[in-house]
Amino acid sequence: MTRFQIGDRVTVKDATSMFHTRTQAYTRGRTGVVVEHRPEWVIPEDEAWGREDGRKEPFYVVRFLQRDLWPKYTGFDADTLETECSERWLEPAEEEPK
Amino acid sequence: MSQTHDHHAPIQESGEISEFEILETAVRELAIEKGLFSAEDHRRFSEWAESVGPAGGSRLVAKAWTDPEFKARLLADGTETCKEVGIDWRDPTGSGTPSDYTYFYVLENTPTVHNVIVCTLCSCYPRPVLGMSPDWYRTPNYRRRLVRWPREVLAEFGLHMPPEVEVRVHDSNQKSRFMVMPMRPEGTEGWTEEQLAAIVTRDTMIGVALPQVDWTASEPPSKVGA
Repeated sequence: MTRFQIGDRVTVKDATSMFHTRTQAYTRGRTGVVVEHRPEWVIPEDEAWGREDGRKEPFYVVRFLQRDLWPKYTGFDADTLETECSERWLEPAEEEPK
Repeated sequence: MSQTHDHHAPIQESGEISEFEILETAVRELAIEKGLFSAEDHRRFSEWAESVGPAGGSRLVAKAWTDPEFKARLLADGTETCKEVGIDWRDPTGSGTPSDYTYFYVLENTPTVHNVIVCTLCSCYPRPVLGMSPDWYRTPNYRRRLVRWPREVLAEFGLHMPPEVEVRVHDSNQKSRFMVMPMRPEGTEGWTEEQLAAIVTRDTMIGVALPQVDWTASEPPSKVGA
């Protein structure tokens, strides 16, 4: 059973960039919605060291509204961005949906 | 005639070899020395990899436009359905070069959603179906700006999306690879799969262009300015 379900609002953790994470800086601390589940994959933090038998985790497709990623977004309100996050990078969003 | 314009400028060697080039050369030479593969094997693979173009992707889209059941399968399981047109993500050459980046997803454009792909971390690209990526796709300029100013970047390619269409950027940062399935344009009723495939150009599958009935990538753009 995955920790997050489709439709859940999640916030990307603002954790260290010291190692290979594949979690983009522009998503850190931002809130989006889980729109798809991905298979369990070895997390980049282990794979980067060649540990193909490293820790496996569920991955999620998270959809962000562009205006939530970029406060000065110049496009339209409907515009979105999707990217994939491993479970360790996500936590339940605290704020109420606007 | 001016002396300075008579011949080409001399070709400049940049003189800079990146760390990645040094790493690639070192690993390749070691592998050849150890007998893992020969220099000719390496050359053959490079020649093959560099000759893969976007024709596979065009075929997938054209087939999906004409066969709703194929389209449903392609959207549900891109990796597996690619085999129906002879593209095997897991064993692309049939000679032991598996990739772990074998999760292929097709993104369907609709009247209300326009998809476009980028990789902000490096240059991830669905190579088995589109071949090598265009140079601009790998530039920091495109990668940094598409996620932040997508409509402006699309406009620079000549594509202006109306406000009622959601522009959806896909930043391929993990193991998935994406390709855009554009909408079939009007005026293509009754076309064969082959005719349709010709207008599904590389850029329409990246998402920076839309297919047009009078435009294929195999002919020079003669209508510029017309």
